[in-house]
Amino acid sequence: MTLTWPIIIAVAAVLLAPLVGGLLRGLDRKLTARMQGRLGPPLTQPFYDFGKLVGKSRSVSSRASIAWVWSYFLLTLTAFALFFLGQDLLVVFFILAFAGGALAFGALSARSPYARFGANRELLQMLSYEPILLLAAVAIYFQTGGFTVYSVFEANQPLLPFLPLVFVAVLVALGIKMRKSPFDIAASEHAHQELVRGVYTEYSGPHLALIELTHWYELVLLMAFLALFWVQPLWVGVLIAFAAYFLELWIDNIAARLRWSWMLGASWGVGIGFIVANLVLLSVLL
Amino acid sequence: MGFLKRARVKSPWILHYCTGGCNGCDIEILACLTPLYDVERFGMLNIGNPKHADVLMITGPVNWKNREVLQRLYAQTPDPKVVIAVGACAATGGVFHNCVNTLGGVDKVIPVDVYVRGCAARPEAIIDGVVLALQKLEEKRSGGVAHAAGAR
Amino acid sequence: MSGELLVSLLVLLPVAVAVCCLALRNAAAQKVLLLPAMVLLMVAAAALALRVLPEGPFALTPAAVWDNIVAVLDYVILAYFLYIGVTSRNGLVLGLAVVLAVLLPVVQFGVLGGHVAVSPVFHIDALAIVMCLVISVVGSLIVLYATDYMPAHEAHLKLERTRQPQFFFWFVLFLGVMNGLVFANSLLWLFFFWEVTTLCCYHLIRHNLTDEARENALRALWMNLVGSVAMVAGIGLAYNNAGTISIQELVTGGSALVLLPLALFCLTGFTKAAQAPFQSWLLGAMVAPTPVSALLHSSTMVKAGVYLVLRLAPGYADTSLSLLVAIFGAFVFMVTSLLAIGQNISKRVLAYSTIANLGLIVCCAGINTDLAIAAGIALIIFHAVSKGMLFMAVGVAEQQIGSRDIEDLDGLAARRPVLTIAAVIGMLSMLFLPFGVAFAKWAAIEAAGAQAGWFIAVVTFLAVGSAATLVFWSKWLGRMLSGPVVETKEPKPFLAYGTILLLVSGAVGLSIFVTPLITVLIQPALSGMGYDQAFDVAGWHLRTTFGFFPPWALFLAVAAAVLLPALAARGYRKELDPVYLCGVNVDGPELWFTGIAGEPVQATTGGAYWTQLFGEARLTPLSNWSALVLLVALLAGVILR
Repeated sequence: MTLTWPIIIAVAAVLLAPLVGGLLRGLDRKLTARMQGRLGPPLTQPFYDFGKLVGKSRSVSSRASIAWVWSYFLLTLTAFALFFLGQDLLVVFFILAFAGGALAFGALSARSPYARFGANRELLQMLSYEPILLLAAVAIYFQTGGFTVYSVFEANQPLLPFLPLVFVAVLVALGIKMRKSPFDIAASEHAHQELVRGVYTEYSGPHLALIELTHWYELVLLMAFLALFWVQPLWVGVLIAFAAYFLELWIDNIAARLRWSWMLGASWGVGIGFIVANLVLLSVLL
Repeated sequence: MGFLKRARVKSPWILHYCTGGCNGCDIEILACLTPLYDVERFGMLNIGNPKHADVLMITGPVNWKNREVLQRLYAQTPDPKVVIAVGACAATGGVFHNCVNTLGGVDKVIPVDVYVRGCAARPEAIIDGVVLALQKLEEKRSGGVAHAAGAR
Repeated sequence: MSGELLVSLLVLLPVAVAVCCLALRNAAAQKVLLLPAMVLLMVAAAALALRVLPEGPFALTPAAVWDNIVAVLDYVILAYFLYIGVTSRNGLVLGLAVVLAVLLPVVQFGVLGGHVAVSPVFHIDALAIVMCLVISVVGSLIVLYATDYMPAHEAHLKLERTRQPQFFFWFVLFLGVMNGLVFANSLLWLFFFWEVTTLCCYHLIRHNLTDEARENALRALWMNLVGSVAMVAGIGLAYNNAGTISIQELVTGGSALVLLPLALFCLTGFTKAAQAPFQSWLLGAMVAPTPVSALLHSSTMVKAGVYLVLRLAPGYADTSLSLLVAIFGAFVFMVTSLLAIGQNISKRVLAYSTIANLGLIVCCAGINTDLAIAAGIALIIFHAVSKGMLFMAVGVAEQQIGSRDIEDLDGLAARRPVLTIAAVIGMLSMLFLPFGVAFAKWAAIEAAGAQAGWFIAVVTFLAVGSAATLVFWSKWLGRMLSGPVVETKEPKPFLAYGTILLLVSGAVGLSIFVTPLITVLIQPALSGMGYDQAFDVAGWHLRTTFGFFPPWALFLAVAAAVLLPALAARGYRKELDPVYLCGVNVDGPELWFTGIAGEPVQATTGGAYWTQLFGEARLTPLSNWSALVLLVALLAGVILR
């Protein structure tokens, strides 16, 4: 394959992702409010939040923390770019794991009890969803004969009809990665105030804005990964990703937060179990 | 910098702290979050961490014990920030006026930008106070001098 | 220099130096002897590599009299093991030594009929060169590190009479024996070197002579003797079934009859590589001075175990044995990674991580494709460099701050910045892409995924283990990075710090230049073993038929992502703000708050270990029994086939 088109796509994706991600987050807040019988903020609210945070003064409690939060952003951006360059999915997930590690390192470096508790829980979240993401990449190989994003587009059949259980497992991982109830245990999204703000407690102003921006990239990356399950044609996959997003919001609003042992049980039991069952069925039936 | 200035007004994150009142005002503040008032329409969020907050919403008359806490929360809130004293106690000490254990109002400890009256303050008044505070926030530069103003 | 001379130098120079060490009592004299000797060893290894890599395998058969000498020495060592068993009143050691004493003559004289000429005795191909380089370079650096470590160690113990001569005797001897082990083609010679490594290991673990050290040394001894028994039985069976005791002939023979002996040799390898259920000897080995751990974990001993499994891999390719080996290795990788989460002793975490990585190498051997074997060989190299360095760093930290507990390493960066940065880079190199260990993990998962059927189990174990790895490294790494500023001077002993920094740069450098490493060392090793090329290396990227890994491009991106912020943060000079403690911070000292009665209280956060889930009490029995079942299945599967 020539690199011209992938590079154009990747650059466009890197430039557009903040817009898409921000709007998705705005949609999240709007829909959540509607589900709770409220009007909710405007769709553009995340951009106002971002702008305000950028304009605030900095408060830094550890130098290592601010170094790692920048690494978190840049590593996520690397994984993001790799994905849209059509690269190896396992490499993308490994780099994404590095990014997640950087977020935890930043919080651990802050030495604040809240941040550290949050970081430990963040690591538990990674313990929960990492195997699912890695195994999902393997499952995609089973169907397409390649580990790269590119090979998914090369395949002549959509993945979802063959990997339905894998898709369900990825939804579990997505819920954890999007920090949605029942598994938003590391940072308590939506101003739930358990552990103050977990991993983000010691960040303020521009650094918090940077974290928010990184979340947008992460969100778009995850949605793009979901869309991979149906790329013939691509718009079906995009619709599926949006449907999945809506499903996550719905679950977020009807579920209470559960303990980490539940999270581990759900993601390993349901997530890994489903993927293995799917792969076994595939090898038996086909 | 038009967008940033506008964003400052459109996204007030509120840290709510009670310095020892009867909790009446606190309940009214939380009532603002409910579907009836829904302050998230204006981008307001109730935040549990001073490092993320823009607006300090203080209730109660401030006693000797939590005076320092209030000072630290104020210090840990990054600029630009505004302080709203909600309710009679926070303004003057209210029913606790001249009690030996209280200081008689938030402005004895930290500079206050907006006073919201009422015992307890009504949600409409609180929202009005926030709107007033946001106007002040818009004018503020980092570390600017605070001038008190009253709502209702 | 001729090949013969280089080979003899690599095996006999350490032996000679070891004997000299017995006479040296002071540190300066040791350094004067060891520094040039170790440099010479590295040069010899490089010279041999330069000869073998372009010209192909190098064969060598010493005079027949050496066969007899080795045979006699076998019995001398065996007699010594019996003696240990009797004097220590250890039934297991004694019993196994007796079994060995019966079995060895039966095999040697009964089955083999006295004297079997194997030609060649030494077969030095690219895989042997990889091992030899790891042993001679990493091992030598650890020896140099030890010359700084041991005097401080003994000063701390307040010994009346130094025991360093004995220590360096066994320590340096180890290197020569290991070189011999990886060169050997005759199984009898392999067995001899195998026994000597067991012996060295026993003495090194026992070095401090505490009750615990003696006990753990005996445990290491009996577990390794289990492997020796399996090996002798395997040698007998191999000769009986296939008529040869040459590794090359066994592996390339392709006879189904050799599967049982190969399975027994794999079992031998598992004991030496401390795979579950034999992991307790390696965990116990941490009572020894830290250089011993560094040596055992990185370049010698355990690597001999995985070397053997990997060396024999072509012999059992495409059999059920291969699948079972893969499942076993992947399982060990997973459980030991999970076990490491529950540990708070730094050396124990490192030990579990070693066992996990060895499990991964075993798994690679079992997956048995071009890519998997390449991953296994790469992992041997990368793991040796990173893990050796990490043990050395932890050893220095232990000497300087007096603890090996991860809790006490909290905020080490403020007290020992250089050491912390070295250790953090070392940990990152064990953990994340684009560093070599993670690269090997990537290759292993893709190779396992590319196999269908039962390999689903393998890839599941690998995925879970990989996530567990992330957790136990991260929660340790993250806590070292910032701490209350303390005015202390970091003592930096030259050789200890020098070798640590050399290995750190080695870990990073080898990871960046993984493509040339693969073309120069690993691909020749692969073709020497009869495998095809694993990668298309055009543009210094690593491309397989189904995956793609661009090392230098990733390094550029990750270096920018990690180094630039770190440099920028160093330049941040504004005063730091106190952390959020509900507004009741005490002014001044960090992390103190006003308690309920107005008294200052320090906020401390210990690490999270989740022992109710990952503790040894819960997981060890489970993992041991499961591993035992897998081992039985492995042998039974081969016998019943």
